[in-house]
Amino acid sequence: MDKSKMTEMFFGPNHPGVPGNYGINYFYEGDTVVSAEPNPGHLHRGFEKLMEEREWIKNTPLVCRICVMEPDINEMVYAMGFEAIGKIDIPKRATYIRSIILELARIQAHIFSIGGNCGAIGLYTAMQWGVLTRDYILDLFEEITGGRVYHIYIRPGGVRHDIEDVTLQKILDLLNDLENNRMPEFQKLIFENPIAQKRWKNTAILNQEDALSLGVTGPALRATGLVHDVRKLMPYAAYEQVDFKVPSGQDGDAWTRLKLKKDEIFQSINIIRQLINNIPDGPVSLNLGNALKYKIPNGEAYVKIESSRGEYGYYIVSDGGLKPYRVHVRGTSTPLGLYGVESLLPGCRIEDVPIWAHSLGICPPEFDR
Amino acid sequence: MRSENELIKLLNRDLNLLSFKKLRKQNISIRFENEELVSGLNYLKSQNYIHLATISCVDWIEDNQFELIYQLFSYEDKISLSVKTRINRKTSKFVTIKNLWGVAKYYERDIHDFFGIKFTGNDNMDELILENWNEIPPMRKDFKTRQYVDKKYDWRQYHGQE
Amino acid sequence: MNNKYESNKWQEVINWVQTRSLFMLHYCTGCGAIELPPTMTSRYDMSRFGIGPAATPRQADILLITGYLSTKTLRRVIYTYEQMQNPKFVMGFGSCTINGGMYWDSYNTIKQLDKYIPVDLYIAGCMPRPEAILEGFLKLKEKIETGSADGYKRYNKEYEKYKKNQEKVLGEVKRRQ
Repeated sequence: MDKSKMTEMFFGPNHPGVPGNYGINYFYEGDTVVSAEPNPGHLHRGFEKLMEEREWIKNTPLVCRICVMEPDINEMVYAMGFEAIGKIDIPKRATYIRSIILELARIQAHIFSIGGNCGAIGLYTAMQWGVLTRDYILDLFEEITGGRVYHIYIRPGGVRHDIEDVTLQKILDLLNDLENNRMPEFQKLIFENPIAQKRWKNTAILNQEDALSLGVTGPALRATGLVHDVRKLMPYAAYEQVDFKVPSGQDGDAWTRLKLKKDEIFQSINIIRQLINNIPDGPVSLNLGNALKYKIPNGEAYVKIESSRGEYGYYIVSDGGLKPYRVHVRGTSTPLGLYGVESLLPGCRIEDVPIWAHSLGICPPEFDR
Repeated sequence: MRSENELIKLLNRDLNLLSFKKLRKQNISIRFENEELVSGLNYLKSQNYIHLATISCVDWIEDNQFELIYQLFSYEDKISLSVKTRINRKTSKFVTIKNLWGVAKYYERDIHDFFGIKFTGNDNMDELILENWNEIPPMRKDFKTRQYVDKKYDWRQYHGQE
Repeated sequence: MNNKYESNKWQEVINWVQTRSLFMLHYCTGCGAIELPPTMTSRYDMSRFGIGPAATPRQADILLITGYLSTKTLRRVIYTYEQMQNPKFVMGFGSCTINGGMYWDSYNTIKQLDKYIPVDLYIAGCMPRPEAILEGFLKLKEKIETGSADGYKRYNKEYEKYKKNQEKVLGEVKRRQ
């Protein structure tokens, strides 16, 4: 490969087209990328070392800052790992409330991601609509938990406090407004727009054998034809008591992935309505004693859940003491952000690189930790 | 689709396991010697365990050993399998598996950055996440964070505090 | 700045004009950047005060440090700050710039922003709400109009002290314009 005929480009951390503080260095010739390599590490805070120095309960406000777009999934996986090693069963009303919070977080992450994808091709009206609609859901979170972005609501043993019936009715009103008034406008502006369709069809293609050998999960894998979802493979919380479908597509390009995100929003609205209609009464958390002296026996666990972009897992090791011995975080976009840049990006055109990065769901703080 | 007990019987018959344990529903862990690990992973990949989630590492400083854990998953059996092995802490060397799964190159480079383990066969071991780091690798248990921070950075002084 | 125009009337007119058109560099350095899209779009509109985003540091006035800084990012922020033209202003966002915040005992983040580049204004919170960000911008406009936002003059006068602090944390920092 003769590097003297090629130009080097730093698609670097200070750029409006890259999703977060992350860089890609690549060589190009003419209009096409020839070789690329990732430049991560700008957001590294040393979480795994910090978690070994604090007690079990003091890690709960720290863990939600690992992934900034959807902080609830981190609290959920940490609590699930703690309860799996300690063999603790939580009350039934707490599992229903946890599922409602996780589905609301999935809806707001999908809306933000559709808006971000439209901003990458120049459709700025849809970006403003996306950020505004997500703000109404953040107002609901502020009523339930007390904070707009970082909630610190799910903790080992259940949730922090109860939801009242007035708030449950407000959730149902907002979902009705979303389904009847706002999603049809998104449909007309984005998905029936001939310019956007021409820009997204047959761009940033990912085929099935590449996806399986890399370890990709979530909408990027379901757009190639397989129907794999952690909520059906290893059920957790209250997902065995509700009835829902998992959408999938055939082509594997950016257009199919965005249509899947829109279909999943409608399925989530359906799930929340079933959960609110059948929610049981009872306590919302277990009393595990003095919070600063939580202890669980010797053991290990690898637990995972389905976030809006794919499988998210933690590996926790405990040695019977007051602090965790080792916590390892496996973010969703680790294979795509690191090895995917080296093996999948050559062959792409320069103007399609932001579409590749945004539609596959690369979130840098997950693999920088 | 196999259940957990059928899978344990099959692995005991075909492979040379050191130990196995059923942790909970849909979660099993097995342990190998160092030389048997790569052929064991090859056999498991042919039995439909094609999804490599991640490679983790734990520092057992009292036993003087590092432990490497490979997390596998099968979409047909729906069982999550943790494959473990232990290596010596002083020499800290192992072989690479980049011929089975290409993505393992970057997981091994990350472990080299934080624990200092060398993987023979993987020729790119540059710094990935840290930059210009010249102390012992930070995730080892004998690296004290509080002493390092007190030496390198200064704390803010407030009025009324000396 | 040109010494001919140091007399009071000219400086007042220039300050008045400058506060009504400020450009903010669009560089999301940390986790506090998630509250910037709601501030810039139509709900808590920021452009009614005359503030808009700019893509390159050569044409920007304000540098917004949103949250913590790792040592890898600090090197790039110093290069960016030295590429901006005078007069320029820096705002620290959140509690991680004041005393280290949530990651106070981490081996990779800095504890005080004030030692490495000069700061004009801090906004408290973890993370600050959009209404708090707008109030911070209005206070910065008052400071510019009265002439007391002079971080860039301090950087030129005390350059050796800042350089010594930067090299203690980062090793060698190559200067290139």
